Amino acid sequence: MAVPEWLLVPQEQISPNASIKTSFLKNRLRKVSFIDKTLEELTTVVRDEIFSEAIAGRDGLLQKINPAAKVVSIFILICVACLIRHIIPLLILNIWLLLLAYISSIPLSAFIKRVWLVVPLFTGIIVFPSIFNFIQPGTPLLSLFHFSQRIHFGPWVFPSVLAITSQGVWGAVILILRAGACISLAALLTYTTPWQSVLKALQKVFVPQIFVSVLEMSYRYIYLFLQSASEIFTARRSRSLGHTSTKEQRSFVSGAIGSLWSKAINLSKEIHAAMISRGYTGRPDTITNFRIRTLDWLWILFIVTVSALLIGGDRIFA
Amino acid sequence: MHIPDSYLSPQTTVVMGAAMLPVWGAAVKKVKNNLTTKFVPLMAIGAVFSFVIMMFNIPIPDGTTAHAVGGGLLAIILGPWAACICISISLAIQALFFGDGGILAFGANCFNIAFILPFFAYYTYRLIAGNSEITSSRRWIGGLIGGYVGINMAALCTAVEFGVQPLLFHTANGAPLYAPYPLGLSVPAMAFAHLLIAGPVEGILTALVIRHFQASNPSLLNIMGNAGPVSVYRKLWWALGVLILLSPLGLLANGTAWGEWGLDEIEKMIGFIPHGMQNFSDKWHALMPDYGLPGLDNTLGQSAAVYVLAAIVGTALITGVTLLFGKLARSKNAG
Repeated sequence: MAVPEWLLVPQEQISPNASIKTSFLKNRLRKVSFIDKTLEELTTVVRDEIFSEAIAGRDGLLQKINPAAKVVSIFILICVACLIRHIIPLLILNIWLLLLAYISSIPLSAFIKRVWLVVPLFTGIIVFPSIFNFIQPGTPLLSLFHFSQRIHFGPWVFPSVLAITSQGVWGAVILILRAGACISLAALLTYTTPWQSVLKALQKVFVPQIFVSVLEMSYRYIYLFLQSASEIFTARRSRSLGHTSTKEQRSFVSGAIGSLWSKAINLSKEIHAAMISRGYTGRPDTITNFRIRTLDWLWILFIVTVSALLIGGDRIFA
Repeated sequence: MHIPDSYLSPQTTVVMGAAMLPVWGAAVKKVKNNLTTKFVPLMAIGAVFSFVIMMFNIPIPDGTTAHAVGGGLLAIILGPWAACICISISLAIQALFFGDGGILAFGANCFNIAFILPFFAYYTYRLIAGNSEITSSRRWIGGLIGGYVGINMAALCTAVEFGVQPLLFHTANGAPLYAPYPLGLSVPAMAFAHLLIAGPVEGILTALVIRHFQASNPSLLNIMGNAGPVSVYRKLWWALGVLILLSPLGLLANGTAWGEWGLDEIEKMIGFIPHGMQNFSDKWHALMPDYGLPGLDNTLGQSAAVYVLAAIVGTALITGVTLLFGKLARSKNAG
């Protein structure tokens, strides 16, 4: 009996673990099937979460601060980062955030990888075109090309010199540094605070109870659904051989979404029944036993001082 | 389409957040009245669903993959108000726990993805599907076009938010402070990507899932019962249309960014300087007389040296106090 032809064609992915371990960049360069990509994204969420929960349990500065005080101070500092308009204060802020990460026992390599590998890549690509005078006119810093005349391209007219503008570079550097500071701050919060504490802090600070209860329940069930989704995709993966058409793949994804939704609806009915049978009336009561200590007040005071110094310095440096 | 922090000015994010407050309020009121005790579990699971399907890779014809938002789908199966809550919660989880989308930009992200997207998708769907049978092909065609329209409207809003940044916020010599591309660039760029790729992906996905439900479990398409006829919302549409038309006009107006007036500008606008502001401004100057030490004249070299010194002292102080806090926290733990 002859071997069917499709069985002789090499496959996209064979080894079960190889694709999960490959990095984001490699995935972009190599064609990885949509199933593997989805599986990888689903597992990354869980892996990151386990990683941050482990750090949140360590002994460090930010872990000791009351979550409500921490949420407020992170929020203040993000505002500060967005208000600063000069490079030096932004640099100082970023270095200080690294110091904070260090004394909060966050592994610096992981922190830097999460912030400074991602931000220049992502934000950098977005702002890159804006440093040229073709996109945005400005004072030339470095002329790259001289053309004999102005270039007409459809409705657009470009100047005869292609140059990097000082305004463009300045804006790009500011944006990258600021994005770095904002991502660092968000990372500091997630790394050093267990999610239950973040939610309780939100409730304490400014978010209505109804949103916090929904948020709390969602977060609890995310991992269940991530598991369900990866089971659907793993099942599919272990049953596929050879190539399938894009159309067929899309109909699989929509089928997966559909069946996930019917699972979701049934689950929500069960949860509702369970809540009602335990006496839920629509008004949840939660136990919050937060104590705001002197250390937290001092911390908030310190953050406000740092903010004032940074913004004051920023405005005066101008 | 998730806007990270630092791309929008804080002023813009405040405005967008303020715009979302009444929407959230109305959404909770409307949905809670219908669902009572079912509200929390259904919204929570809806949010989880929205979170998980945003991670699915959808194969597209060139062999690569794209992500869909699934906001239109959620709006069609749960109604736009409930979808607004679910997507907002899902965005909050992404911003708070996974660093996806900004914390400060949360209001703006919700406005685009949790408000504009589901509402446009839902009403386009209703307009096409009308009162047709649940298994009618008008349903999935409505989903197809609804998803497409919804995500493109959301992209347009995002592009406008980006596009007004260089117009409103730049330094004296024209360097942009936030997102650098003006409307003339940001709108075509976003439109190009969304009209050609993200829009069709969203539309086709919505349509395929609706067809899946029609074939396997039609009751899932009608969980919330049939919503009222579209005409009820006509007033809302008019108001929204007028708002959309007006907003670019306001943004193009000349002048200082709203809320960033100097004292003299405020005086020109309202005829006097509010007493508190005058006071504050005086005190601020008194506290730091131009950041210099008294007794030095303000020659350039001297003042530069003073600035640098002030910066070094300030930085050293911040570092020192931070380390002190680290010690304090650790000793508390030991004790």
